[in-house]
Amino acid sequence: MPEAEPREYSGFPVSGKPAKARAVMDWTKTISAKAGGAHIGAADLTADLARRYAPDLLLLALYGLAFAALHWAAHPWGGGGFFSLWYPAAGLRFAALWRRGLAITPWLMATELCVDAMTGALPLTGSGVIHDSISIMRPALAYAAAIAIARSMAGRLSGHRGESGSEPVTAAPMRLGIAALLAPVLNALMFVPLELALPPTAGPSAIRVQLVVSLTGLALGDLLGIIVLAPPLLSLARFYRSAERRALTMPGWRLLVPGAVILGASMWLTVALWRAGLGAQPTPLLLAGAWIGLRHGRTAAWFTILAVVALFLPYSAGPLGDGERLNLHLSLAAVAIVTWLSGCYADTQKIAEDMLARRNRLLFQAERLKTLRAMSVAVIHEISQPLSTLAIEAGHLKSRTADLDADIAQSAALVDRKAHTLSELVRRLRRFGGRSVDEPSPLPLCMLLQSSVQMVAPELRSAQCQLVLAPVPPDLTVHAQEIELSQALVNLLRNAITAAADRTVRMSTQMRGDDAVIRITNAVSARSAPPSASGAGMGIGVIIARTIVEAHGGMLVRDDEPGFVHMVVSLPLHSPRSGTET
Amino acid sequence: MTIQSPHAAPPPAMVAVLDDDEDLACTIARLLIRHGFAAQAFFDTATVSAALDRQVFGCLVSDIQLGTTDGFAFAESLRSRVPSLALVFMTAWPTTTHAVDAVRRHGGLDYLEKPIDTDRLVSAVSEGLNWSERERRILTLTALFTRREREVFDLLVRGHSNKEIAERLAISARTVEDHRAAIVAKTQTNGLAQLIALSRGEGTPPLPR
Repeated sequence: MPEAEPREYSGFPVSGKPAKARAVMDWTKTISAKAGGAHIGAADLTADLARRYAPDLLLLALYGLAFAALHWAAHPWGGGGFFSLWYPAAGLRFAALWRRGLAITPWLMATELCVDAMTGALPLTGSGVIHDSISIMRPALAYAAAIAIARSMAGRLSGHRGESGSEPVTAAPMRLGIAALLAPVLNALMFVPLELALPPTAGPSAIRVQLVVSLTGLALGDLLGIIVLAPPLLSLARFYRSAERRALTMPGWRLLVPGAVILGASMWLTVALWRAGLGAQPTPLLLAGAWIGLRHGRTAAWFTILAVVALFLPYSAGPLGDGERLNLHLSLAAVAIVTWLSGCYADTQKIAEDMLARRNRLLFQAERLKTLRAMSVAVIHEISQPLSTLAIEAGHLKSRTADLDADIAQSAALVDRKAHTLSELVRRLRRFGGRSVDEPSPLPLCMLLQSSVQMVAPELRSAQCQLVLAPVPPDLTVHAQEIELSQALVNLLRNAITAAADRTVRMSTQMRGDDAVIRITNAVSARSAPPSASGAGMGIGVIIARTIVEAHGGMLVRDDEPGFVHMVVSLPLHSPRSGTET
Repeated sequence: MTIQSPHAAPPPAMVAVLDDDEDLACTIARLLIRHGFAAQAFFDTATVSAALDRQVFGCLVSDIQLGTTDGFAFAESLRSRVPSLALVFMTAWPTTTHAVDAVRRHGGLDYLEKPIDTDRLVSAVSEGLNWSERERRILTLTALFTRREREVFDLLVRGHSNKEIAERLAISARTVEDHRAAIVAKTQTNGLAQLIALSRGEGTPPLPR
């Protein structure tokens, strides 16, 4: 390759000349205009835009700065045909894409273009400007594609469970691992078709000779950069975003020591072999990395990789031949890949085990609830038998003693009244517990809502909470199993009561098309972070509610707005034609 | 355990209350007596069966779960012996399927949940007794006829003329007239309208000769 210092991103040579930068310039101008406009904030629209996009703009600005710094920091590991064999900026790019979603891809491309234009890495004049711009934009595109592929692959493997809305919880670490390996490879692979499609800028022969070395260097640099930099950035972002601090709990000494010993020993062995003149042998570190990754998961794997990289990078930054450096980094990459994938694998296993344990607990709880229900049903029935006698006799006593002296009459009346209250209570209780084997039947919504409210009344009192029940349209009827559905509503109401910041829970009902929509709303204080912060047991209650609602052909959606949480239950309305006689 | 109510002018048919909870059975029987019915409490199926041979019951108020016996099955067996027995069921374990079955399959008049709603019980029992009395009248009436007379009577009260009846039964119109005369004589009625009323269980049935 003719150039003394080849360009980054691509590893393909640059010869910049005539001014064809119009399009790119216009684009960057539009973006900076947008950014500028947002800061004026005169009109409402602009202010609104600023509020909505300010975090993203800030992120992009930070991204640009960090990108430039990391890009510069990579230059000591450069070589012929590639920019650097250790390219941490790739890790930054990957982390940004993984965290903020693929929609940010064009903005990252634009930011990188801006940065390169400002630092002079992208000459704005010259014949190769389009060529160069495209090669600058390519990596972000390749990374986005890799992430999309890894996500869809994992989604397909785990069936429909992956997209059940609770993605951050169930996201398999394996997805991240696969994406991290796939991204640099795709980046290198996309080089060839792009290069063929574009007008050649350098002698074709030069490219072909160096192609393999160039692509290997590119992939290696990106790979190392991603594996070393992306995980801590991502966990930092997660730490900043939410209260998931448990991710930072340190493993105990007992776990830490053997890992450290093994790592130390293998490092010593590597260095010893090296000194003995056998060259940099990756095997001991490979084995150690695999062991640590499988045993302790991603965090330990990452620290191992960091240690290994810290051992070799200063050396490989020194005056070494390109071939030697490439060799060294190949070994380094092998160690990193093996360690990283074993860590991801171990974490995935761990999550799967946790999920299984969680399911078991749920199952156990369901079993216990069933027993409890059977018991309470039995109690209700046992009570109703003697109560029948009692109520009738009390009524008789009352009517016979009515004209006796006031004291006796009063006592008898009291006994009669209490017996009636008890009978009423038993009848009402039986409606929840007694018909456990019932078929689903047409059920007026107002009845369902009222019984749910009755059931949470004690909790409302003890939480000093107020429940505002909007009037229910009386003609709304659903085809449902009353006990189950009121259980679902009770679960949702309980959560709302626990989370209500202003001690008020609202419940309203309306008709939307062929559905009845029940909306349970509570205010949340700005501080309490989204779903998991609202106290223990929240998860299971919502899961049960969702299962029940879906079993009735309905849907449970969480529909938040700033300061408020809405749980929205929609149920298909009962059509009278399909009515069953009861 | 039989207590005749002083108010009941004509001796009313007896109500049998069957529940394996003895206290409840007695309580309900006493409640019914207070409301002017003649009622008797029973605690097991054997006693009811035996009592059915000795006297006429108009209505059975029965629990569905009688220890190990199924109340429905037992009530049906009684009904096959005494077709004019009205059935009212009660239970401490109400289910929709049972409620439907009680009325549809087992010919029950009502299905009461425990704790018992007194007013509903009383109205169910009095309705049952009325029904039972009507049934009994019709049964008494038709018991007077010969088979041929019963056939002629059935067609008569449905509004067929002598000629039509003769064609249907493939007998001569003359014979139909003979049967008709016998029917009128036996029922001591005059005119078709009274015959029709009798066929519906209305009016007093003639005393058996």
